Amino acid sequence: MARMAREQWYDIARDLDWELSYVDYDAVFPEWMSGRGKIPREAWAKWDEPYKVTYPDYVATQREKETGAYSVKSVLKKSRVFEQLDEGWKSVAKQHFGAVALIEDLAVYAELRMARFGLSPAWRNMAIYGALDETRHTQISLAFPHELVGKDPQYDWAHKAYQTNEWGIIAARATFDGMMMNPNVVDVAIQLPFTFETGFTNVQFVALAADALESGDINFANMISSIQTDEARHSQQGGPTLEILVEHDPRRAQWIIDKTFWISARLFAILTGPAMDYYTPLAMRKQSYKEFMQEWIAEQFINQIRDYGLKKPWYWDEFMAGLDTWHHSLHLGVWYWRPTVWWKPQGGVSPEEREWLREKYPRWEEQFGRIWDVIIDNINHNRMELTLPETLPWLCNLCNLPIGTAGSPHNEKYPVRSYPLKHNGYTYHFCSRPCRQIWWEDRDTLHNPTVIERLLRGSIQPPTVEGILTWMGLTPDVMGDDAYGYRWAKPYAPEPAA
Amino acid sequence: MTETQDTGMQAEEIAAPPDEGQPVPINAMFEDDFVTQLVLVLDTDTIDEAARKVAAQVVGRRVPPRDAGLVVRFDGKVIPGDTTVARSGISPLDIVNVGWAQRTPRPQRTRVPDNRGGRR
Repeated sequence: MARMAREQWYDIARDLDWELSYVDYDAVFPEWMSGRGKIPREAWAKWDEPYKVTYPDYVATQREKETGAYSVKSVLKKSRVFEQLDEGWKSVAKQHFGAVALIEDLAVYAELRMARFGLSPAWRNMAIYGALDETRHTQISLAFPHELVGKDPQYDWAHKAYQTNEWGIIAARATFDGMMMNPNVVDVAIQLPFTFETGFTNVQFVALAADALESGDINFANMISSIQTDEARHSQQGGPTLEILVEHDPRRAQWIIDKTFWISARLFAILTGPAMDYYTPLAMRKQSYKEFMQEWIAEQFINQIRDYGLKKPWYWDEFMAGLDTWHHSLHLGVWYWRPTVWWKPQGGVSPEEREWLREKYPRWEEQFGRIWDVIIDNINHNRMELTLPETLPWLCNLCNLPIGTAGSPHNEKYPVRSYPLKHNGYTYHFCSRPCRQIWWEDRDTLHNPTVIERLLRGSIQPPTVEGILTWMGLTPDVMGDDAYGYRWAKPYAPEPAA
Repeated sequence: MTETQDTGMQAEEIAAPPDEGQPVPINAMFEDDFVTQLVLVLDTDTIDEAARKVAAQVVGRRVPPRDAGLVVRFDGKVIPGDTTVARSGISPLDIVNVGWAQRTPRPQRTRVPDNRGGRR
């Protein structure tokens, strides 16, 4: 039987809708899930995805991608590539697997929510592909580290991390719940595909793919490149949704983008910043985190939102200034509180690396160098107890990251300080004015207590450092330590007296 | 039974011992540090004692020791060292700033060993 040409049926199939007669429209698409707001129902007829695909084409392409990724994995299994990888680089992969693998799974549900409650059939159709994509991403992100579990138990956290109360995971869980699970689907489309996937996944999947290849981790590069090709497609659900929202409610569109960009930027400063500027071996670094963010995020993002008639977020200067400091502060924090993470943070401040940091970040020495000098001195005099924490940093009530890390020491404009807010007789603390502003606007949907609050409420017993680590699920075989056994500090050691 | 390793961290009780005043958890900032931290002081502590508890989490760890006294600022004011936490008005969750009695000099260019070689 002759098959109908695709152009004859495609538009009808992808955009098939009908008037409901047995049920109320509002019962099928309730406001709290569908998020129509000020957008009239007929406006959704204009929803048009820029990238069109049929199911047979989709399956054929995905099959090819899967075959490619798993073939490379299979070949490399027999090699000694993994054993030769740099320990600092391995930490990049471990951090990625733990922080990202099950977020891909959460994204399945976000896509399915859009597939069910999206107000245009074309959008619902596109979201089905998105859900299938994210299912593949979850599977591949769990399969690749799984075979390494026997070699290093830290890889087990690819699956375990989100089942724990590890502090970074609490930060990520709060952020992604706010992006994918709490909001209505119009907000999800602006937050997840438009702001997060169009912008920030580039940082993790494009930048890290380049660094992974340079570092010899072909498997990891191969896996995240394969994922990124899907992201590039399904992220396009954001644009058509934003176009309609901007036309009918530009203020709402601007707010959703502004808050999502800020919280994503805070999270990526800990997820990708240290990976690019400290963990990736010096000789393998392609660009600094700041350079990459300026090129791939700042410039592209601003051009993109201007195309939709939107403005720069109100905090733009603060975000740009933060590219010089946030990830350095967060790296220092992760390294100092290293038993609280599931990877081995590389110090990354050997004399050669320090020279690179000074070149890329002219104020790094003044702002962070002196702190590292104290740490280095303690390492070289075997005062290791002073390089380990006895308490916790205070955590931001919005981003859950340590207060101070949205600024830096010796920073006149953005100093190390808390931005408190007293509300209903309780003092909340924030790392920055934007975090405080976002919390205030969204406070009715934010219910995640910080680790500090849980500790003070008695949820962590015993309330000791050991008790906190146990509560976070960090067993001694997994908790982080310096990637190189502190050898990067040795060149600073005083010469022994002759 | 799983063998456990020494984490190298001291298992200090964060909860206060009984009969020695009520614990007051503060959000403490020490001058030149890069984060603020949870420090438990007691309402019966003098401000000097509270300052030392904050300094113990920072000085010699991330900020170099100095031969200088400590100053506590709360709500924009310097608090006398001999008053108690309770009398100073410091309450749980408050921000308390601790610094040196003398102004911190600007950081010097850090020493870099001569044997560092070129970039790889």
